[in-house]
Amino acid sequence: MSAKYAMVIDSARCFNCRACVISCQLENGVLPEHSRNWVKVNPMETLFGMHFQPGNCMHCDDPTCVEACPTGATYKDPADGVVKVNKDLCIGCGSCIPACPYGARYRHPVSKIVDKCDYCEARRNQGRLPACVETCPTQARVFGDLNDPDSRVSTLLKQEKTVRIVNQKTDTDPVMYYVEKTAPMDWTVPAKAPLPIQLWRYGAGPLVKALVGMTGLGVLAMLGRQLFVKEVPTHPLGSDAEKGTDAEK
Amino acid sequence: MLRKGLMLKNKKEMLRRHTVDAMFMHWFNTIFWAVLLATGVGLIDNPALQPLGMWWVRTMQAVFGDGAALLEFHITAGAVWSLGFLVYGTVRFKRITFPFVKELLAFSPRTDIAWLVKKPLSMTIGPKMMQRLGLNPTIPEQGFYNVGQKVFGITAFFGGIVIAVTGWIMTFSQQDLTGQSTVQWAILIHFLTAGLVFAGLLVHIYMAAIAKGMRPAFISMFTGYVPADYAASHHKHWFDSLKNSHKINTLENGSKN
Repeated sequence: MSAKYAMVIDSARCFNCRACVISCQLENGVLPEHSRNWVKVNPMETLFGMHFQPGNCMHCDDPTCVEACPTGATYKDPADGVVKVNKDLCIGCGSCIPACPYGARYRHPVSKIVDKCDYCEARRNQGRLPACVETCPTQARVFGDLNDPDSRVSTLLKQEKTVRIVNQKTDTDPVMYYVEKTAPMDWTVPAKAPLPIQLWRYGAGPLVKALVGMTGLGVLAMLGRQLFVKEVPTHPLGSDAEKGTDAEK
Repeated sequence: MLRKGLMLKNKKEMLRRHTVDAMFMHWFNTIFWAVLLATGVGLIDNPALQPLGMWWVRTMQAVFGDGAALLEFHITAGAVWSLGFLVYGTVRFKRITFPFVKELLAFSPRTDIAWLVKKPLSMTIGPKMMQRLGLNPTIPEQGFYNVGQKVFGITAFFGGIVIAVTGWIMTFSQQDLTGQSTVQWAILIHFLTAGLVFAGLLVHIYMAAIAKGMRPAFISMFTGYVPADYAASHHKHWFDSLKNSHKINTLENGSKN
């Protein structure tokens, strides 16, 4: 059976040490000005202190980033449920970046292709946890397989009330859960594929199909006439007149 | 290149229509278009954007091993195609490229519009039906290219340039020569232009290889020659210009020259 990896986060445990962010940067070659993950700060949460909200790509079940990618470089891997980038297929167009409501993608300044959280695939292949999970001193981030009923994430989802952060205009069905409640909740943006991709989907795509279809029908009509109707010559001279056709290239 | 002063003894005398290098580039273009179209459509690995169906993507990926190999092949083939035409078009600019484009852009609006209306009708509903609809079915005479060929030629020539430029923009997207927005527009324009040329290509292939009476034109893409009677009937203005410039002599006017 395939896996479906997810993260359950208890943001009340987070005290913004940012070890998860730094360990991810070191593990995945992320330059300091960028990050695959984050800790959001909500200063108004309590009188006694701020509330911090760790996060990263939510590996959505209805990923708008995948919809926006023209080459299939961004895909949701059915083997583990993780949204990944095939670096060999990515042409660096950046169409997926504004298509993520969580801002979980960026263009790597050196490789020039899109980079994002893949739950540390290289580490997972060695049987290790993602760097951010392993580093977190308070175990605010819990990682595991939702398809395994005995995993910690499955147990937490059964035992605890959880919430998800969903953009009201673009519900991408995120696979990231926060225990009980979390804040802030209003930082997401509506997913928006760039205009050229939208024009392709709703304009150029149907237009090309219609044009090729109509041209194909025209060719079939000419072929039908050629095969089934005896022609009357219209050219006064030449081989066509002799053969009784008036076709031109 | 016409043999100067060629005496036409009968209607089957052959007239030079294509140079050897132009024929070579035509078939070079044919092979690369087939390969680039097949692999290019196969690279659109997105059900919302894929025009043919995801089965084609899976087929192409299976043929080439995976998507990355397919992309690499498409980029390499596109580079060979575009650079091949760049070198050829530059080296043969004076002799081939410029006269070709000049000929493509030489329209005679009044007869050309009539041709564009009448020719498709003639080949689909037929001359009889045209007469019933009150249209004179006589097709206006044409020059070296008929206007249908010109429209397709312009689409293919300028479309080819657009496809090549947008292809290079995508190829170099990782070198940051342009912004990401330019790359996104290049993807759209690359697809749209290839689609437009492909629509024209369907007609071109039918007219050139399947339509009755076009065998001489098809053969001329291998031999370079068309029969004089074919030239006279299909490209009368060209035929007449050859006669008038004394590049050929027919039996009728041969004695005068």
